[in-house]
Amino acid sequence: MVEFVKDIVARRDLLSMLVVRNIKIRYKESALGFLWTLLGPVFLIAIYAVFMKIIMKFPMPMTVLVSGIFVWQYLAMCLGDSSFAIIGNANLVKKACFPRVLLPFSIVLANFVNFLLSLLVMVVYLLFNGPCFGGIAWLPLAMLAHLALCTGVSLALCALNVFFRDVQHLTGIFTMAWFFLTPVVYDISMIAPITAHHPVLGQLYFLNPMAGILALYRAALLGSPLPDASLVALSVGVAAVVCAVGVMVFQKLQTRFADEL
Amino acid sequence: MSDIAIQVEGVGKRFRLRNAGGRTLKSMVMDWIRTPGGDRDLWALKDVNFTVARGTTLGLIGANGAGKSTLLALLAGTMMPSEGRIMTSGVISSLLELGAGFHPDLTGRENVFLAGAIMGLTREQMNRRFDAILEFADIGRFIDQPVKHYSSGMYVRLGFAVAVEVDPEILLVDEVLAVGDASFQRKCLRRMAEFREQKKTMLIISHDLNTIQSVSDRILFLDHGRVLGEGEPGKVIGQYESFSRSQAGGERRREWGTREVVLSGTEFFDDRGEATTKFAWDQPLNVRIRYDVNTPVGPSTFGFGISDEEGRLVHGSNTEIEKVAIPALSGPGSVVLRIPRLNLARGTYFFSFSVHSADHKVNYHRLDNAFAIGVESEKKFEGICYLPSEWTVG
Repeated sequence: MVEFVKDIVARRDLLSMLVVRNIKIRYKESALGFLWTLLGPVFLIAIYAVFMKIIMKFPMPMTVLVSGIFVWQYLAMCLGDSSFAIIGNANLVKKACFPRVLLPFSIVLANFVNFLLSLLVMVVYLLFNGPCFGGIAWLPLAMLAHLALCTGVSLALCALNVFFRDVQHLTGIFTMAWFFLTPVVYDISMIAPITAHHPVLGQLYFLNPMAGILALYRAALLGSPLPDASLVALSVGVAAVVCAVGVMVFQKLQTRFADEL
Repeated sequence: MSDIAIQVEGVGKRFRLRNAGGRTLKSMVMDWIRTPGGDRDLWALKDVNFTVARGTTLGLIGANGAGKSTLLALLAGTMMPSEGRIMTSGVISSLLELGAGFHPDLTGRENVFLAGAIMGLTREQMNRRFDAILEFADIGRFIDQPVKHYSSGMYVRLGFAVAVEVDPEILLVDEVLAVGDASFQRKCLRRMAEFREQKKTMLIISHDLNTIQSVSDRILFLDHGRVLGEGEPGKVIGQYESFSRSQAGGERRREWGTREVVLSGTEFFDDRGEATTKFAWDQPLNVRIRYDVNTPVGPSTFGFGISDEEGRLVHGSNTEIEKVAIPALSGPGSVVLRIPRLNLARGTYFFSFSVHSADHKVNYHRLDNAFAIGVESEKKFEGICYLPSEWTVG
């Protein structure tokens, strides 16, 4: 972990250039460019709105759906990109010497920049829908835990994918399962009846760090009531552990990257 | 600062061999079920020891797969040794591959700054060097075009320019001089000569023995991951040449035919009748080709060919072209081929011999690239063949 922070501080020039490179490349030669960062979630929101609200008659405010999809989108982008962070730069890894951790971390940060911009758009949208930013103080914690989680998961995935290409195939399925285990297209209050009867299930549910992180975002942006503090702390704690484990897995495996590629 | 730029102690590098498909969960499970065996390991390098004094150039030679590139990768830090220690002092720049890490969608300018950052330079340091890079690469306004639109020449020029303008203390060069056109190669060689004058340390891999002899202070000769020779360039290159001759033939050697007549042996000898496989470029070469006859055949033709190390045919001819009639063959015998003057550049060459029917319909026996000879030459002419030429003034 110390190594990780040292590498990032020492090579911040390179890190920032890689972040800029990743952002540039993502939208290179697409007519709509950055707009795709917004259009992706917007289409998803439209699909879920039609399906859940109109067809299934699921009672859910649009603001919950919008915040859920936009927040989820950041993790989903990291999960999708990170498998290729090392194998997609095989030539660089084999032929040049620099801290390899910058490759996945620059992707996490580039996606974070995209996320910040989409967050701005979301805030503007919320302003038109009865803003309630009473819990805004929770936002920094939500973002920090979110960033830590994305970093840990991305580092572990990109390192493991060098050795087992199965990882990139599993990631898609895993992402889907994670999506529904997380209160993205529903609100945490909807599962409250279940967890009230079985507190253990509630704790299990919040072992998913995204559950607590999303609760923090919604508290910050929608003024939703925060679930029990210990449950949120559990989620944030798991996010921190995932981050540390991801960094450790990466540091352990990186010495063998060039051999495997 | 110590006088030693690079010190390599007992270094070994082991690779795990596995099936072409790469590691999958399935192969992992299979590995786990099978008892682990050392036979799947390959030592690409073993017991490698050497030091490079500051300001000197070490040339690495050896056949493909000898471990040269692995050694440079270990020195560059992209791979870790499996055993032993490597100590380097000074900023290292590696030309393991020109333009490695260039992203096709980014412009030349963006890639130059990115490459600089990868090598550890700050933006200001790169700003100061940018004009020199642009001048050396000589690609003009293309610098602001995505590199995917570059010709391969422009690509390698820009790659080389970045690496050398970074101004490293230690430069690792892997066979990159083989790319680019002649004028670019001259430019690179000039640039490397400047490096030597500036007392930089260099490690160079090249298959071009003439070039490597002229730029190196010392040579390290590797084979199958082991150091077989180290020292003064002329001596080690000679050792390498005779070694590769003794090994040669094996790789490109091919043999086929209907075997009515079989080429049973060859003897190379000089004009004094002494057996040798080493010839001076301007001296005669004799070779006696023995044959056995399994089934008597009619009028036949004996042929030969000489190829260089790259597999290029230098010359080929036969008894028919030279208007020598070979009568029907009914019992063992021999023919002698004499080349009055070789006229070949220094290097290793491979002889092929054949015997076939005079009408070319039946190929009795053919041995391709089966016999290696070494040619030594003091005369420095270009190309692989010497054409006697005369100059007059006025």
